[in-house]
Amino acid sequence: MVKKKVAKVLAFRYMILAGILVILAGGLVLLPKYEKHEGIKTEQLLSNIISPERYISTDNLADKLINQDPSYLLIDVRDEKSFNKYTLPNAINIPLAKLLDEDSEMYLNQGQYDVVLFSNDNFYADQAWILCNRLNYKNLHVLKGGVNEWYNTIINPLKPAETMPAEAFELYTFRKAASMYFGVAYPEQFKTVIKKAPPKPKKVITVKKKKKAPAEGGC
Amino acid sequence: MKELEKTKRISIAGTLFILIILIAVLSYERPKHLYKVNSAATLEKIITADYFVSLDEIENPNYILVDVRDQIEYEKGHLENAINITTTEILSDDNTDILNEIVEKEKVALLYGKNPNEVNGAFLMLTKLGYTNVKILSVENSYSDNQLITKNVAIEKPIADIKAFIDESVKKAQKDAKAKVVVRKPPKKKIITVKKKKKAPAEGGC
Repeated sequence: MVKKKVAKVLAFRYMILAGILVILAGGLVLLPKYEKHEGIKTEQLLSNIISPERYISTDNLADKLINQDPSYLLIDVRDEKSFNKYTLPNAINIPLAKLLDEDSEMYLNQGQYDVVLFSNDNFYADQAWILCNRLNYKNLHVLKGGVNEWYNTIINPLKPAETMPAEAFELYTFRKAASMYFGVAYPEQFKTVIKKAPPKPKKVITVKKKKKAPAEGGC
Repeated sequence: MKELEKTKRISIAGTLFILIILIAVLSYERPKHLYKVNSAATLEKIITADYFVSLDEIENPNYILVDVRDQIEYEKGHLENAINITTTEILSDDNTDILNEIVEKEKVALLYGKNPNEVNGAFLMLTKLGYTNVKILSVENSYSDNQLITKNVAIEKPIADIKAFIDESVKKAQKDAKAKVVVRKPPKKKIITVKKKKKAPAEGGC
């Protein structure tokens, strides 16, 4: 009798074994989740933070904007008030507080555009960059010096002193031209515009020389 | 015979199974440093908490100054009683011990560097690693005659109203231009140049 019962149970032994394994596997779900440990490794993040690769200079950015590079997307991480007051051309406003919202992720976590983050300095933009870098978002850059540096170099460039090398003057010419592109007007700019419009073509009447007649006569 | 084969198969499968688990357990290396705070919580901290300390407040005995610049800079000059933890070395064992000690003593690590931007990385890294007692000393360090000069700086303060500047420049330029236009009414001069006939060489003559 007993043997029969044992045999009956033993007939299912593989099923039972498989069942135990399935239950054990189910136990994995109950393991503590490392939810907080999201994103890239700490060591990797640290080396990314130290590297200055993320910075883009204001001159470089101005050049990109003037050439209307379509691959660049500007994101202003300052609050809405500052954004409405002044921002770089075509920038999108994502205040730092809303950085991890779903709507923002669309702009930040993509491979299509080179995203340039900026704030007044690069302090908040760096923070935004570090948060995003941890989540392994690619193609993010930070405007070095932010809007303040933008003002110092592009909007209101300092005229180089006479003694400075030629490169300084070249840079100044570029920056001045860039500032005109971004809306700053210079008195001489108007002067040239107005000067060009009215001048009437000088009427210059040139009388053709008569060909010298060969000396005639003579005895 | 059939039963025997089955048993064999099972024992082989069992051994393999155990072996795989053993390899997995042995090869699993727990990362040394784990984030203890997730991104959303970090963000909330940096936008709500007040983590800036100005130079006048460092006398507080609760603060421990931490210089995040490199060793050469640190040796050249640093604030009084500051210890040196370079940003690059922030995850090393020694520094982890130091930081943990600060936590145990319930003091606050006050990070400073060349400017607040430089401290940002170290500060966020430590915040993510779960250190809640970290603050930033909002100062800028520069040298004058080999003397370290430390100044308070405002974080992210706009230096100018750019929109006003642009509007102003446009207004000024227009004004200047108008003034100049009045002065310079282009005179309508017709310049007629008539070339002189060259003197014909003397003709004739005897």
